[in-house]
Amino acid sequence: MEGDRPAEARAHVSQCPSCRYLVEDMDSIRLAAHAWSAEQTDPPARLWISLRAQLEQEGLIRDAGQRAVPVSQTDQAERPRGWFAGIFTIVPRPALAGAYLLALVAACIALTGPSARQLNESRWISGTQDSTGTLSAQLQTAERDSVSAMAVSDPVVTASLHDNLAIVDNYIALCEKSVREEPESEIARDYLYDAYEQKANLLAQMTERGVNGR
Amino acid sequence: MSTLATLRSQRRWKAAGLLVPGLLLCSAASADRLERHFKVEAHPVVTIHNPNGTVTVRAWTKSDVMVVARRATTEVEVDAEQTGNRVDVQTRQVADTASPDDLRTDFEISVPEDAELQIHNDSGGVNVSNVLGDMNVETIAAGVDLEDTAGYLTVKTVGGAFQCLRCAGRLEVTSISGNFKLIDLRSYYVRAQTSEGNILFNGSFLPNATYVLKNYSGAIEVRFSPGDSFDLSATSLKGKVHNEANLTPSSHHHFVPRFGNALFGTFNSGRARVELNSFDGTINILKRD
Repeated sequence: MEGDRPAEARAHVSQCPSCRYLVEDMDSIRLAAHAWSAEQTDPPARLWISLRAQLEQEGLIRDAGQRAVPVSQTDQAERPRGWFAGIFTIVPRPALAGAYLLALVAACIALTGPSARQLNESRWISGTQDSTGTLSAQLQTAERDSVSAMAVSDPVVTASLHDNLAIVDNYIALCEKSVREEPESEIARDYLYDAYEQKANLLAQMTERGVNGR
Repeated sequence: MSTLATLRSQRRWKAAGLLVPGLLLCSAASADRLERHFKVEAHPVVTIHNPNGTVTVRAWTKSDVMVVARRATTEVEVDAEQTGNRVDVQTRQVADTASPDDLRTDFEISVPEDAELQIHNDSGGVNVSNVLGDMNVETIAAGVDLEDTAGYLTVKTVGGAFQCLRCAGRLEVTSISGNFKLIDLRSYYVRAQTSEGNILFNGSFLPNATYVLKNYSGAIEVRFSPGDSFDLSATSLKGKVHNEANLTPSSHHHFVPRFGNALFGTFNSGRARVELNSFDGTINILKRD
C-alpha cells in the first residue's frame, strides 16, 4: 500500500502521528482481510440449493418465476444492485480494501488541510474567547474592588501581593498570545485557565485582607 | 564650614551615637515574653494566626501544647485559648497607629507529634519540624520550611519560598513566585505548582506514587538514581527538556502532543508516575550526584 499512496499523503502521514496511527490500524485491517480472503473457499452447489429450498418453504423468499412484479420495475430495481454487485465480482476484494483505505487517508488529509485547519482554529479561538471573555471581565472588576479595598498595613505584604498580581497578569497575557498562535493547543489553554484561577485566588486573598483590615 | 560649626556637628554625631544603642536597648526591653501551657489529648488541633513574625513549631513527647510568644511591642496582643482539644493562637493589633514592625510577634510552639496544624502567617517565616499530623500552611511573603513531617501537607504561599526536608505523606504546595526545594522526600503523592519559581525534587520515587511538578517559567529539576523506577512525562510548551535518564518507550503514551517539547518514557519498571510540566521553563531530569 505504501507505494500506492500519493507522495503528499506519504509526507503527511510521516509528519502526523494521528494519521500514522490510523494508517497503521487500516493496514492491519487490510492484512487481516487479505488473510480471510485467501482462506475463503466457495461452498458446494448443493448447499445453495438446499438453503434456497428451505427459505422458499418457509415463505421467506419466492421463486423468481412466480414474481408478479412488472419487468420494467424489476429492471429498475435490479440494475443498481447488479451494477454495484458487479464491482465486487470484477474488482478483487483486497484492491477494494486498498481503495477504501486511500479514500479514508484522503479524507483525513482533507480534514487536516489548510482550509479545514483554519476553520478548526477559528472554532477553537471563538470557543476559548467565549469561555474566557466573561471570566476576564469578572476578574477585572474583582481586581478593581480588591485593590481599592486592601488595607495598606504591612508594606512587605502589600508589595508582595502587587508584585505577584503583576506576575500573574503577565502570564495571562503570554498564555492568551500562545492560545491565539496555537488555538488547538490544549496545553496552552490549560495554562491560561490555570493563570485565571491563580488570579482569582490572589484577588480573594487581597479582598480578605481588605475586609479583615490586615 | 567654620571650626565652631564643625565642633557642633561632631557633638551631634556623638550624641546620636550614644542615643541609638540606648534606643535599641529600650526596644529590646519592651519585647516581652509570654508563655502558656495547654493540656491536650491525642490528635489535638493547633491553629496559629500571626500576620508578621516567625512561627516555629516543634514536636515533643509531652501531651501539652506550649506557646511562647515574643512581642516586639505592646501594640499587639497575643490571644491563646483552648476549646476542647483545639488550641487557638492569634495576634491582635490593639493600636491603630502601630507600624508593621511594632506588630511583629515571634512564636515558639511545642506540640505533640500527632498534632494537626493550621498556620496563617503573612510575612516572616514558618518552620515546622517532627510533626506527623496533617498540616495546612498559608502565607503571603513568608517562607515555609518543613522538616521530618508527615501526614497530609498543604502549603500555599504567594511569594514565599518552600522547603521540605525528609517529608512524608501527601504534599500539595502552590505558589506564584516562590521557589520549591523538595529534598529527601518520602511522599507517595506530591503536587507542586509555582508560576515563576524553580522546583527542585531530590527524593525517593515510591512505588505507585505520583509526582506532579508544574511551573510557568523557571527551572524544574528532578534528580534520580539508577535504582529508581518511574514512568515519566515531561512537557515544556515553549522551553526545553533535558534528560539524562535512559528511558524506554512508555506503554501509557500513544499520542505525542503536537505542541511544545515533550518526553515520555519508562525508567526501569515504571512503578512511580512522574509528570513534569512547564510553560516556557526548562525541565532537567538529571542523575543524582
